[in-house]
Amino acid sequence: MHDRLAMVRHVLLDNPPNLIASLVLLALLIAAFLGPWVVPYDPIATNTRVALQAPSAQHWFGTDQLGRDVFSRTVVAARLDLVIAFAAVLLSLALGSAIGAAIGYFRGALDATVSRVVDVLMAFPLFVLAMAMVAALGNSVTNVVYATAVINLPFYIRLARAEVSMRSTLGYIEAARVGGSSHVRILCVFLLPNILPSLVVQASLNLGWAVLNAAGLSFIGLGVRAPTPEWGIMVAEGAQFIVSGRWWMALFPGLALMLAVFCFNLLGDGLRDIVDPRNRT
Amino acid sequence: MDRREFGIGAAAVALAGLVPMHRATAQSRAESLRVLSEGSPNSFDPIGIGVNRSSIQVTWNTYDRLVRFGTKPREDGTLYYDYFTIEGELAERYEISDDKRSITFHLRKDATFHDGTPVTAEDVKWSLDRIVASPIGKAQFSTGSMTTPDQFEVLDAQTIRITTPKPDRFTLPNMATTYPIIINSKLAKSHATDADPWASEWLKTNIAGGGPFKLDSAVPGQSVTLSRNDGWKNGALPGFQRVLWQVVPNAQSRRTSLERGDADIVQDLPPQDAVSLAQEAKVKVVGVPMAGAFQFIGMNGNMAPFNNVKVRQAVAYALPYQQMFEAALFKRGRPLFGGKPGEADGMEFPQPLGYATDPAKAKALLAEAGFPTGFDTTFSFELSLATVAEPVSLLIQEALGQVGIRVTINKVPGGQLGTLLEKKEVPFFFEGSAAYLSDPDYFFRIFYNGATRWNFGSYANPEFQGLVEKTRFETDKPVYETEVKRMITLAKEEVPIILLWQPTLDTGMQKSVDGYKYLFHRMLELRTLKRV
Amino acid sequence: MWVLSRLLGIVPTLLGVVIATFVLTHLLPGDPAVFFANSPTADAATIQAIREKLGLDQPLWRQYLIYMGDLLQGDLGKSITTGQPVARDLMQRLPASAELTLTAFLLAVAVALPLGIGAALRPRSLIDHACRLISTAGVSLPTFVTGLLLIYLFYYLAGVSPEPIGRLDPFAAPPPTVTGFFLIDTLLAGDPASFLSALSQLILPSVTMALFALAPLARMTRSAMLGALGSEFIRTARANGLRWHKIVFSYALRNAMLPIVTTFGMVFSYMLGANVLVERVFAWPGVGSYALDALIALDYGPVQGFMLVMAAIFVLVNLIVDIAYGVIDPRTGLTNA
Repeated sequence: MHDRLAMVRHVLLDNPPNLIASLVLLALLIAAFLGPWVVPYDPIATNTRVALQAPSAQHWFGTDQLGRDVFSRTVVAARLDLVIAFAAVLLSLALGSAIGAAIGYFRGALDATVSRVVDVLMAFPLFVLAMAMVAALGNSVTNVVYATAVINLPFYIRLARAEVSMRSTLGYIEAARVGGSSHVRILCVFLLPNILPSLVVQASLNLGWAVLNAAGLSFIGLGVRAPTPEWGIMVAEGAQFIVSGRWWMALFPGLALMLAVFCFNLLGDGLRDIVDPRNRT
Repeated sequence: MDRREFGIGAAAVALAGLVPMHRATAQSRAESLRVLSEGSPNSFDPIGIGVNRSSIQVTWNTYDRLVRFGTKPREDGTLYYDYFTIEGELAERYEISDDKRSITFHLRKDATFHDGTPVTAEDVKWSLDRIVASPIGKAQFSTGSMTTPDQFEVLDAQTIRITTPKPDRFTLPNMATTYPIIINSKLAKSHATDADPWASEWLKTNIAGGGPFKLDSAVPGQSVTLSRNDGWKNGALPGFQRVLWQVVPNAQSRRTSLERGDADIVQDLPPQDAVSLAQEAKVKVVGVPMAGAFQFIGMNGNMAPFNNVKVRQAVAYALPYQQMFEAALFKRGRPLFGGKPGEADGMEFPQPLGYATDPAKAKALLAEAGFPTGFDTTFSFELSLATVAEPVSLLIQEALGQVGIRVTINKVPGGQLGTLLEKKEVPFFFEGSAAYLSDPDYFFRIFYNGATRWNFGSYANPEFQGLVEKTRFETDKPVYETEVKRMITLAKEEVPIILLWQPTLDTGMQKSVDGYKYLFHRMLELRTLKRV
Repeated sequence: MWVLSRLLGIVPTLLGVVIATFVLTHLLPGDPAVFFANSPTADAATIQAIREKLGLDQPLWRQYLIYMGDLLQGDLGKSITTGQPVARDLMQRLPASAELTLTAFLLAVAVALPLGIGAALRPRSLIDHACRLISTAGVSLPTFVTGLLLIYLFYYLAGVSPEPIGRLDPFAAPPPTVTGFFLIDTLLAGDPASFLSALSQLILPSVTMALFALAPLARMTRSAMLGALGSEFIRTARANGLRWHKIVFSYALRNAMLPIVTTFGMVFSYMLGANVLVERVFAWPGVGSYALDALIALDYGPVQGFMLVMAAIFVLVNLIVDIAYGVIDPRTGLTNA
């Protein structure tokens, strides 16, 4: 354990991008938790008298079509975006690793059937599948999360299955089996903790993608504009105003989105370095 | 961005920019009109299934009708159709019989179809028979008492008579709408089959008309090319020889093309772009309030709590009209809020309903209705209306929240809201629609009456329904006016739907393009457009 | 023989896609008959007449059987919104999507491969950090924003790029269709001006897509190369005094090619299905925007056809990747060396 901690320190301090990414993540978390209490304006309240104002001392990032403060909205949006990203990714991580581990361990007919289903799911044009799912289930944040999780699921199932089937022939698993441990115990105690790191790396690289996916859906009008601010939707809406010179509505949430995705990706890389030092030289 | 790739990209872009690509000569460019729109036509048969509004732009300009609405210029010089004068197009004149039950049309003698065949009364009869043979056509034509083929009678090669069971003032205007195009019946019949006697399959993708433009090519979802029919006799020859109409789904791309001078006309500008383009004044923005069109807040009269007239009035008093008008519509329209409450203000409808924002009154009415603490409801709108409907929904959510009505917003993809409305399952919503014919009783018959989804408020007041029946064939003008005024009063007092505004149809065009004419169907009239 | 059995293995996957899409489209809460009866004078009888005409009054299982029967005869049904057979629509639009995707893909590979190899050869150097930064930045912005930004800069402000609408200059006639790829067809027709026009229309949308595809390709190249360079036999080869140049390009790259090619296949098929947004921004007449419009308009046929064709392409690309495996298998490489 101490080794790992030392490793973490090494990865953070020795690699400036990782340090920066961690600091950005920290800022995002602060914004997500404290956002509503520290921003200067109510991010939801409209005030059409000050609609579409350029950035100024009163409104650092300007105001939008309904006169809402873009700065306040950008900060507060961190919460919903982190929720969408983490919820979607955790959902597919949890489901995917459970299913993948089970079929990788038990093999047989179950494995064959589930693998076929996974093949079918992978063969879909994924973005259009997500669109169809949101259109069928209804336009809401929850359904965007579900759709994002489902189209991600096959990758986790495959990864978990591969990792488990590679390990289940190893000596210590055999030993546990001979020693009378139940299948559930073997899976939960011996296998899952071992395959988890590589799954978590995959997940962290996936966080940014989940946010982008939601943004893409809202660009074509699927995905709800709850009054609660969300970066992707703010960018998609602001994009309508870029050519008429009101760049601030898309630019600032766009930068926030970019920053967040950037930070998720760097962290994913850093995490991989910790988990899988083979890739380091 | 990768600096290296940026370099490559920029170099390639610059290279491409240097090569002269416009092989079309300057001369022919001036005589061509390039139109960009969001929608794309999906059929060239106006009575086909699911034909969209964009399709009208093709059929309107490639076919002629017997008659057309007249023209009167607006104050700003824009040409505007005049519903109350109807003039001949293919018919050089028409007479209405003394008993007002029949109209006789005399065809122009030298009119021909695109292939040179002369237009005969037989062609007209076949075209009209075809309409009453289709469910969609018949539904429209029955608003003018035309339901069977024997009502269309050929008198001689150039004369045709339409007879209705009772005098009906909607028969003639119906002949000027988008449905009764006059088809080259010989050509069409040669493509008919036993299963498809009216050649509907063929007419969906082919033009058999004699209008001012011929169809050169059409790629679904991408482009339509038209060229002028130089043998057109039914009006002044159009100004453009060639029309290239392209479909561009993204509003920003359409706008940049217009500003850069690559497009001549961009249709259906979003309100915020219309305002900023007009301010910048690099191009012309023609904005015309759409006659007969309206956007409104619907409340389901079959469903509690909106079956209570006090609740509907309370909502009508709680809406933040001015804010919605400014922030969502950027004032691109004619308000239908405010105005004279209670009684009719003239014979025109839609007209302002007489409600202004008054939260105190709204609260009082809610209390009277038995909802002192308000209620919960869901507000729905359709994806394609989102540019306006989304800001509207947020403003409504906030304003109604202040009088205790808690609103959840539900954005529904295109096809779905119609189904829900048809089943009368939506409690509270934003929608828009338009009537082709301007008579107030026609408007009420469609939007305030009956079991269709177009009766958006599911309004079912027996007195009102009786008036709808009575005004249908009323020929006595004073009686008609009294009855219509009573209907307007009821529409104002009982607010089955809350009218918001008549949106403006904003069309952006180069300053060199002139002769724009607004028509009831809101698509381009290519007959009058020219370059100056 | 092996290829044949792989081809047979595709059938159940495609069948699964067909069934899943059929169920999904029919789950859409909306009645196409109501949607397509869009005239304000349409009443319940009109709607019922339309429903019968579209065959939607049949029970779902029968609709499915009819659809499957047509499918077996190669008939993908008809689109109500375009009025054309779905197969013809897709054939018209597929080349546009394929040309865009292929160009973007090649562009991305041309940048990602050298970048990834360079980063792996000099870990923690400037080029390594650059590789990381670029590939991360590329996937940090939604594609539609990148696209709009490029249009704004290069067309609206600088004016160096042609109007970002469609595949060709609007007043030029499209070349006679041979392959459907304008870049090839214009050359076959001996029309260099149209070729340049098609090329310049392609640049912005393909750069937009390439930026997004860059990241996974560069990443995978880097880590695969790192893995290969660190492996036992490379060290042996170095110890044996083989030239560095030969080690990198003959041994390490060849070894690294396996995972790289897998990623190529996945990225390519993902791009083909995911370019809806780019097609939308650039008015590119491809299959993605076709499917999107159909989905919104409750037009089942095109959505089903699109999903099926995309799935077929996906499994075919995978098959090709598998075959490519055999060709570049490093074991053959080593025995030859």
